[in-house]
Amino acid sequence: MEKTDVRAVFEKKGRAVFISHLDLFRTMQRALKRSKLPVWYSQGFNPHIYLNFPLALSLGVSSSTEFMDFSVTERIDPEKASADLNKVMPDGLRILRIAEPVFRNQDIGFAEYKMIFESSAAPEKMIAGIEKMLSMEAIEIDKRSKSKGTVRMDIRPYINILGYEASEGRSSVELRLPAGGTLNINSNVFADVLADISGIEFDHIYAERTKIMCKSGEMFM
Amino acid sequence: MLKEQIESLLLKVKNPSRYIGGELNSVVKDKDKVDVRFAFCFPDSYDVGMSHLGMKILYSLKNKIDNFWCERVFAPWEDMEALMRENNIPLYALESLDPIREFDFIGFTIQYELCYTNILNMLDLAGLPVRSKDRTEDMPVIVAGGPCVCNPEPLADFIDIFILGEGEEVNIELMELYADMKKQHRSRSEFLSAAADIEGIYVPAFYDVLYNADGTIRSVTPNNVHAKPVIKKRIIKDLDKIYYPESFVVPYCEIVHDRAVVEVLRGCIRGCRFCQAGFIYRPFREKSSETICSQTRSLCESTGYEEVSLSSLSTSDLSSIDETLTQLSEYTDKEKINLSLPSMRIDRFSNELMERLKAIRKSGLTFAPEAGTQRLRDVINKNITEEEILRACKIAFKGGYTAVKLYFMLGLPTETDSDIIGIAELAEKIIDMYYQDPDRPKGRHVQISISCATFVPKPFTPFEFEPQASFEEITRRQKLLLDSIHSKKRVNVSWHNYKVSILEAILAKGDRRLGDVIYEAWRSGCKFDGWNEYYRYDLWVKAFEKTHTDMDFYAHRKAPYDEIMPWQHLDYYISKKFLIREHKKAMNGEVTLNCREKCSACGVSKEIGGACFGKN
Repeated sequence: MEKTDVRAVFEKKGRAVFISHLDLFRTMQRALKRSKLPVWYSQGFNPHIYLNFPLALSLGVSSSTEFMDFSVTERIDPEKASADLNKVMPDGLRILRIAEPVFRNQDIGFAEYKMIFESSAAPEKMIAGIEKMLSMEAIEIDKRSKSKGTVRMDIRPYINILGYEASEGRSSVELRLPAGGTLNINSNVFADVLADISGIEFDHIYAERTKIMCKSGEMFM
Repeated sequence: MLKEQIESLLLKVKNPSRYIGGELNSVVKDKDKVDVRFAFCFPDSYDVGMSHLGMKILYSLKNKIDNFWCERVFAPWEDMEALMRENNIPLYALESLDPIREFDFIGFTIQYELCYTNILNMLDLAGLPVRSKDRTEDMPVIVAGGPCVCNPEPLADFIDIFILGEGEEVNIELMELYADMKKQHRSRSEFLSAAADIEGIYVPAFYDVLYNADGTIRSVTPNNVHAKPVIKKRIIKDLDKIYYPESFVVPYCEIVHDRAVVEVLRGCIRGCRFCQAGFIYRPFREKSSETICSQTRSLCESTGYEEVSLSSLSTSDLSSIDETLTQLSEYTDKEKINLSLPSMRIDRFSNELMERLKAIRKSGLTFAPEAGTQRLRDVINKNITEEEILRACKIAFKGGYTAVKLYFMLGLPTETDSDIIGIAELAEKIIDMYYQDPDRPKGRHVQISISCATFVPKPFTPFEFEPQASFEEITRRQKLLLDSIHSKKRVNVSWHNYKVSILEAILAKGDRRLGDVIYEAWRSGCKFDGWNEYYRYDLWVKAFEKTHTDMDFYAHRKAPYDEIMPWQHLDYYISKKFLIREHKKAMNGEVTLNCREKCSACGVSKEIGGACFGKN
């Protein structure tokens, strides 16, 4: 059967941040089924809707730029298809656009996040923490990997703080972290390190993924 | 607002999407624009409760009415409960995330006895006193329905109103009455009195129970003018006309039955004498194939599920089963939806059926002979023969199956050692047949799994008079079964925990005095009793001891026919005369034909004003 690959860009916000990666698969398959788009099914004894997520998102993190690939058996009008899908999407998930995939999963190199930290600590303490982090030569953490178990690694070279702002009760940090198959650092790793270095116990931490980028620096699309 | 507080805890618990709502098709209303708020509680985890059909029906039905808002509530798992208690988060409903103690009604559906402590725990988590008598005017009315409510006496201390029978009409009547009386600022006790006038509504506080010196019940007497001496269950007459949901709430996480479910019939024609469901859900009523097909279609389209199951006590007894399956598969095949058929009888198992089952990638087939010899199968009125069991297995082998699971019960009334040995012999016969069968799957061995439950006597069955076998006796019979099996490699045997079955028996047949036992067990830490990893038999035994309650009296005592049963004032359309007649036939090993073949005069036709089938 003839098939065309398409890539949907979607946001995952609100209550939807608590949908795990595995559950997102099922959720999207069901949404595609409800939408009645001409979706391609894997062939074989037990056909199911083929889906691919180029980059997983940690549980609890929201995002304005997630990607999902699927295939269609007929030409679709991207705008109409987005609208059809949005009619049947659960709360917090919304398709922003549908287009042809340009890059491959393995091209992904970085992701950017906006993080909000809430605490009763003085803004100066937060700023001191971030500045201390920036001045450190190495930040060693235990990182779990699938193949090697837990390994000790220095993540300082990979933390790229793009900007920060501290105010009473609430501070924000924008940062870029490595993402994708080669090296992936989650925003919660950064949050743990910041808590450790600043000595602040945060009441709430909100993280939103704002960009997914290629190793080349181009925007993933 | 609890929302922020809840969200801040969610990353610390397993499967957080269970605790935050927002699922597709969940119903959110403006609380200022509704008159009655109903917290529908399932006293088990989200994964179990979200699989339950009755809750889906009543949830959608209530929410179809503009001024009612029904929300879902489940028992939080241990990790979440600990965080909720630590952070003073009361039990909340998933749609609004509002505390349920602010609601008008809190309603429990009670599906099995081992969730009783969860009911108390949920009331406590909600910030409410668990006992009715300690709750005050401003607190929600606590109601409960479901199969266990056919003997709700052990829960009489905790629940304000029991709803007997099928809930579609009576729930709405009750909520309408409440809405009216709320506008007139009537008191809680006035509401309870008025509610007692509705058929199917049982207010336990309106009855006094007296006991004889030997511990049996002397009398159950109304103490309120509105309380009827006997309360009748409710039924829905026409299943084609009654409301059925067009959509289900679709969970994010995986649940036990993660699929669309279409109920195809209610009741059962079979009359297996151990089976409570077979009696309390009578009469037998079916949906037409047109209704089943259109309900399947709308559910699949609104949920996006890839599997639909035709649900009932015995789906192969649907008179239009062939026609329905033919019509349905046209749609499901085209849409790549799997059609699953649970609850098929051995004697209705056919080549055609097996082909359908195979399409849904099941690793093995399960049959329920229940007893090992024809004599005992006749006693329990199972009405299947050994030939039929062997024939069903033969079809399965021919279809490529090599694993067969067989369900049995140990401790059935009149069971002897030869019945136990019969289970082993039946397994051996199936194995022999497999290796003699030229059509068997080549180069593979057969595997028989025997799963044994312990017989639990239940109210409204012909075996309600029977004692449960003792722990020592069941243990001896289990060992006998193991010793009787020769092909140990090909047969594996497992059993349900006896210590669970005995509690099930006590709570199923118990009276009001068990309220204190349940309370003690819950205080000492019992909850999720249906989950092996949480079940604390030792704590239950202590609770019985502390309250000076004799477990044997409830579990191991044979009741004479004229004993007043704790549930005698509840009318489930099944006459006691019929139960006695059936019990006597059982003792003589006589079978009773199914309802379609011949009416057994169980009492139902009198209640529904005519024969269940044609003219019978």
